[in-house]
Formats: sequence, C-alpha cells, structure tokens
Amino acid sequence: MSEQVESLIRKDYSAGFHTQIESDTLRPGLDEEVVRFISAKKEEPEWLLEWRLKAFRAWQEMEEPTWAHVSYPLVDFQALSYYSAPRSMANKPKSLDEVDPELLATYAKLGIPLHEQEALAGVAVDAVFDSVSVVTTYRAKLEEAGVIFCPISEAVHRFPELVKKYLGSVVPQKDNFYAALNSAVFSDGSFVYIPKEVRCPMELSTYFRINEVKTGQFERTLIVADEGSHVSYLEGCTAPMRDENQLHAAVVELVALDDAQIKYSTVQNWYPGDKEGKGGIYNFVTKRGLCHRNARISWTQVETGSAITWKYPSCILKGDNSVGEFYSVALTNNLQQADTGTKMIHIGKNTRSTIVAKGISAGRSQSAYRGLVRINAGAEGARNYTQCDSLLIGDRCGAHTFPYIESRNASAVIEHEATTSKVSDDQLFLCQQRGLDAEKAVSMIVNGFCREVFKELPMEFAVEAGKLLEVSLEGSVG
Amino acid sequence: MSELINELPPASVQAQLLQVAEAQSVPAWMSSLRLAGAREWRAAAWPDRRTELWKYTPLAALRNRQFQHASLSQPAWSATQALNVDAIRLVFVNGVFDASASSPGHAAVVRFSDADAQQQALIARHLGHVATTTRHLFASLSNALVADGVLVHVAPDTALDKPVHIVHVAVPQAEPVVVSPRLLVVLEAQAELELIEQFVSDTQEQNGFVNSLTEIHCGAGAQLRHYRINLEQEHMLHVGGVHVDLWRDAHYRGFTLAEGSALKRIDYQINHQAAGASAALDGIYLPRNRQLLDYHTNVEHKAPHCTTSETFRGIVADDARAVFNGRIHIHPQAQKTLAELNNRTLLTSDRAQIDTKPELEIYADDVKCAHGATVSQLDPTAQFYLRSRGLSAIQARSMLSFGFINELLQAIEQPAVREHLHAHLQGLFAEALPGTVTNP
Repeated sequence: MSEQVESLIRKDYSAGFHTQIESDTLRPGLDEEVVRFISAKKEEPEWLLEWRLKAFRAWQEMEEPTWAHVSYPLVDFQALSYYSAPRSMANKPKSLDEVDPELLATYAKLGIPLHEQEALAGVAVDAVFDSVSVVTTYRAKLEEAGVIFCPISEAVHRFPELVKKYLGSVVPQKDNFYAALNSAVFSDGSFVYIPKEVRCPMELSTYFRINEVKTGQFERTLIVADEGSHVSYLEGCTAPMRDENQLHAAVVELVALDDAQIKYSTVQNWYPGDKEGKGGIYNFVTKRGLCHRNARISWTQVETGSAITWKYPSCILKGDNSVGEFYSVALTNNLQQADTGTKMIHIGKNTRSTIVAKGISAGRSQSAYRGLVRINAGAEGARNYTQCDSLLIGDRCGAHTFPYIESRNASAVIEHEATTSKVSDDQLFLCQQRGLDAEKAVSMIVNGFCREVFKELPMEFAVEAGKLLEVSLEGSVG
Repeated sequence: MSELINELPPASVQAQLLQVAEAQSVPAWMSSLRLAGAREWRAAAWPDRRTELWKYTPLAALRNRQFQHASLSQPAWSATQALNVDAIRLVFVNGVFDASASSPGHAAVVRFSDADAQQQALIARHLGHVATTTRHLFASLSNALVADGVLVHVAPDTALDKPVHIVHVAVPQAEPVVVSPRLLVVLEAQAELELIEQFVSDTQEQNGFVNSLTEIHCGAGAQLRHYRINLEQEHMLHVGGVHVDLWRDAHYRGFTLAEGSALKRIDYQINHQAAGASAALDGIYLPRNRQLLDYHTNVEHKAPHCTTSETFRGIVADDARAVFNGRIHIHPQAQKTLAELNNRTLLTSDRAQIDTKPELEIYADDVKCAHGATVSQLDPTAQFYLRSRGLSAIQARSMLSFGFINELLQAIEQPAVREHLHAHLQGLFAEALPGTVTNP
C-alpha cells in the first residue's frame, strides 16, 4: 500500500517556469545605501526613508530566530539582491493593454488571466512580479465604491496620511527579525482602504510571483477597513523552479476598525524545492491583524509550497466583542518543512477566537503547528476553541504540535484539542474496494480531512485549493 | 572541585549552590559522578525567560539566599503530616536520616552509605544513568551534590509485601540549607513494588531548598505503583525530578499531587526503552495564595507498541500561577504507539494564572496520539443547581472543586494515600474559602 502512496507523491511543480523578461536588478548586498536606493527609486517622501532606516538599524542588531522546528542553512543576506523590476515597468503602463505581453502570459500560465478575471470573475487583482506591482485591475469600479486598492508605492504618494497613520501600527518595524528586514527593504505590495459602512463590491486579490534569480521578495500589504466596512481579500503566490533557495519575507497588516470585517485568504504555492530538497522558497512571513470593537478578522490559508514555511497569522483582539478566526491547511511533502500556526491575543471583553489547523505531512517532510492563545487579565468572558489535527502519509515524515495557552482571567474558557493519525489502510481499502484507485482514495480522504477549512475559502479559491492539494500530494500514496 | 567553582562568578547562584559540595563528606566511589555533575552544572547556561523550559518559571527565588550544607545535628520536628501506612519507612529530616522515626529495615531497601560492595556496584551502574540532564538542568546539581540516598532493589519475580514509604521532612534552620534527596529504584525482571514518596514540612516558615531526584529502572515485565506527594509549607523551594526507564512490557503507574510554593518545579521524564511498555501518570496541582507550581512532563517513545496515558488536573486559586508542559515525543521506530494527554485547569480567581502547553512531536506514522487542554472556571449552572438544593455558595464551590479532581483521587489504589489526601484536601478547600457558613 505504502509504495502506491509513495509513487503518488511524486509530481512536478507546474508553476515552475521562468519568464524571460529583461529586468533591472540591484547588485546583491544590503547596507544603508541599498535602503536609500530603494526609497529613492520609488521617489518616497523623507519620513518613509527615515522609517526604513530605523528598521534597518534595528535589524542589524537583531538575530535570526532559531526557535522554530525547522532546520536550514542560514541565509546569507549579503548575497541577495533586494530590488528587481521588470524593465518594461520603467515607464508605467496605464492600462492592461500597455503591459508587457510576456508578463501577462506569465500570469496566464499561472491560471490568472487578468483580462478574463476582469471580465468573468469580477475579482480585482493586484499582481506583484518580483518587486513591483504590475497592474491593478478593476480599479475604476472600485473607486466608484470609494475603495482604494492600489500598489502601496502608489498609495504612499496618493494617500500619505493613511499610509503614515497605519503603516507599522500592527507590525512595528522592530517586531521580529524578518519584519524588520521587510520594513527596511520592502519594495511593493498592496494597499487597501475600505471607507466607513462600505461593503467592498468584489473580492480583492493579489498575486505574487518571484521570477528573477537570487532575489528576495519583500512585499508589504496593508489593509484598513474603516468602521462597519467589509472586505474579502485573496492572496496567491508562485515562483519558478530554481536550485538556489529564494527568500520571501513579507509583512501583512490588517486593521479592522469598529464593526469592520476582514477576511484574508491565502493559497501559497511557492516553489517547494525538488525531491532532494534542493532549492525552494524560504517563506518567512509576518501577518497580523488588529481588531477594534465588534470587529472580525478571519485568516484562511492553504499552504502547500515553500521549502521552509515560518508563518503565524495572528489576531490582536483589542476591542470588546471582537472575533478572530484562523483556518489553515498546511501540506508538506518531500523535504519541505513548515512551522506555522497562529496567535490569538485576547485583550478586550467577550472576545472570541476559533482556530482550526490541519497539517498533512508526506514524504520526508516535517510540519508543526505552533500557536499561542493568550487571555489577558482584562479579557472578561473570552472564549477560545482550538482544534489541530495532523495526518501522516508515509513513515518518514513528522507532525508536531506546540500550543501555548496562557490564561490570566478566570472567566475565560479555553479548549484545545489535537489528534494525530495516519490515512489508515482500512480507509484506503474501503475506497479502493468501491472502485477508486489509491491516489483518488487518498485525495478524497485528505479532502475530507480539510473540509472544515476549505468551506471557509471563497468559492474560486476552494476549487483551486482542492486541486492544489491533489497535485501536491501526487506520488505520496502507496 | 574547588577549581570548578572558581571559574564561575562568585555571586552566581550556580557557584553558590556548588559551594555546598565542599562541606560534604562523601565515600570515594561516588566522586566521579559528583565531578561529572559539577562540570555539567557549571557549564550550563543559567535559564532565563528566553529558555524554553523555564519560560514561565523564574528562578529568582534561588538568588539572595546563601545556602548551606544541612548540618548533621538532628533538628526537632513533629510528624503531624506524615502518612499513616503500614510500610517499610525511611524518614529524613533536612536530608539527615532519622532512625527513630523510621521502621525497621528490609533487605531490599538500603541507604547508599550502608550499601555493601554488591549494592555499591548496582548503584554505580544505575545512578545518574536513568536521569538525563538535557531537559532537567537540576539533575546535574543533584549529581554534583550526591552524598547519600536510598536504593530500593527488588529481585526478579519478587513482590515486596509492604509498600516502601520515604518521607522527607523539611524544617527551617538558622541558615537556609540545600537538601538533595536521592532515590534509586531498581526493579529486576517481573518485580513488583509500591512506592510512596512524601515531602512534608512542619508549619513554621521554611527557608530551605530541596532539589530531589528519583531514578527508576523498571526491568522487563516489572510493575511499579508510584505516589509522590508534595505538600510542603509555601516558603519552601523545591525543584524535583522523576526519571523512569521502562523496559520490555514494564508498567509504570504514577500519581503525583502538589501544592505550590515560592518556587516549585517538578519534572517527570518517562522513557519507553523497549517494546510493550506502558505508563499511566495522573497529576493534581493546587497552587493558591501567591504560590507558583510548575509541572513539566516528557515522555519519550523510543520503541514500538508502547502506550502512555497522562491526565493532569489543576485548581489555581488566589494570586497563584500554575505552569504545565506535557510533551510526548514519538521516535521514528516507535510504530503502533498509543499516547494520550489530557490537561484541565480551573481558575477560581481573577488573578490566578495558568500557562499550559501540551506538545506532540511525532516522527512515526502508524500511531494514534491525542492531547487536549482546557481552562475554565466553575460551571455557574452547576453552582446554581447545588444552591437550589440548599447548599451555601461556599459549600457548592468546595464540592464542585472537589468533584473536579475527585476522579483522579478515586483512582488511587493505595487506601492509606487516598484517605490521607481526601482528608487533607477537604481541609484545604474549606480553609481556602474563608467564613464558611453552616447550612441554614
């Protein structure tokens, strides 16, 4: 049985093509000059340069965190290039028609034909290629509703007060090693602002892609939902196949003001490296949301890619009655390693949080759930429910759970449960006996295992996530 | 040993505690273990908030006290708290053997200082070998300060007709003392033993530090029932460790109960060394006032077909803090493992705190593992129900608190232990709720 599983896990990375585009790439290395260069390139105001430099100086004092359950050769931060832009972007396109057709073809290969999306899905997409934002679709319609959705580099010029007020308000520059690095060198990313009492008319989406060799991608996303507003945001990522490891250190900040709701969904499919663990993306991401009164932030993530994942989307439940949710499927195969989970910090009264984390380990991979639920003394009546389940496929992988629970208030109720098991031979046998082949059977079992999370995803994403899981698992059944 | 101490900054707690070794008189055959321990203790980085294993438990209480070696004069004490059970009993007062309070000896139970050549060889073979210092820093201090201790050795296919009862009494001395109780249990194949370890103090305000270490070797098919009751006065500092090696089909059944103190940390390290071993561990932690109580358990599944079941319940009152960390580590070869861990905590005051972390680390696929943790307060509907039946609010709370841990108390097989704890806890819950009113 397990040989069949094995043979199924093996499957190639379908987003692993490289696009031949001329690009301007900065020399490798990181010093103040580089930070100044990036800032100058983007014609940033003085305060932002200072902000970056402050982060850079803090970063120089910091050490790479080593507490995560992952092992990898240390990143040589001086060997990376911190800025790369497709050359044709030098004179920015005004509309899709002016965008380099090669670039657009890249996105089409990835399954997000921008034109089509614009027409059919009604999803507004901001595509980020290496370090710059390529194009933002559907802008006119959004502006009609008063929604701002643009590259952050543009927002700095057009909406400086908003950016200045909220940038770094949830993830400060010195928050952690990678956040500090990102703050110093972030190149682009998306900025979203939903005005008061507005329900964003469509789903917003960003697509990230690392194309250039030996570059890091450091995008920064800032979403501000003003009082009573609602937005759903999708994020997808891919990278070409490379033998070297590439670094991705992003920061995502969400601010949900009173009564606002933000739903943030991620399908992460960075290149995971080959079967021998060569190459692949190091995904060191800081994501955090701040909930004001009655606000709700919901993180949904499907993590299938990256050689190393280090990611803890968190909610700070500051306002009374605010709600934080975290739904996650993390799949690791071959030699991938994932240390992912969430933090729920309950500060306000009657705050609630739900965590559902599903880990699937196959091949020789290691996946870990690491979570923190903290109830502060003032969080009267706080409630948390955590469920994390692990599924093991093959006998050389590992699945780990490290939940931290810190309660400072007697009226809080916290529940945590975790289970670990494997796809049992009985289940497989039953499915096969009904005429499914082993691969289908495993895929079906895994899909069932992840159901609770998939149902939280927007429809288009749910379909994609299911497929992605199937592809990532190919060759893992036997 | 003095040159080892000199390399540390003289003010450090490490140097201070190691200094105690100078004052001890020790048989020569122990010196290699002592030296190795001292070396390790000296080299270890002193834990702080960033040390994962000590994240929630500050060791500040150890500082600012100049600990001495316990003097040999017999301090007076009253045995009010000692358990009344028909047993082979050894009583130590501040680490010094009290022959008058102990019951007549038994061939299976011997102090290190009385061991014959054969027993010395046995001690040398096992002492310091079951305990590992990687996750239990203070085991190296215990090694460095080992001078006397107790060996319980049960021959193959033998069961002792009485339980072995070891009582450690703490009494305050003019200068604070450090005591290192050491217990080595060697059960040969198919041997059976019931063991009760009890840590008590008189009611005076204590100033000492106990660093206890128990090592248990369960040979093939051996069975051990082990009770460890930790009820010292709240100013007593206690860092304790129990290390268990389980060999083929061995069975360990453990029960532990503790109240908190200024610093109380207890580590359980259970190693499934060979196939078919099983371990069940129940624990109750009851810190109150401004106490701190920290339980760390770690189960290593190194062989296939082993089972673990662990249940910890705690009630944290007043300004107390409790820490629980339960780790289960399944090695790649440990297929067909069944492991379960359950931790439930009640907070009965708004200032009470709990930090709990049940950990699973799994490297084998054909296993069934689960853990669960809950934190809550007493169920208001249950309280209402009891009050509607005519109980006072205080009685209702006391009854529900008792009910929360009663399941574990009822499972205690030794009646003397069960009754003793039952009475003690009833007193505790009544006392914890001041102004108890009688039923109208």
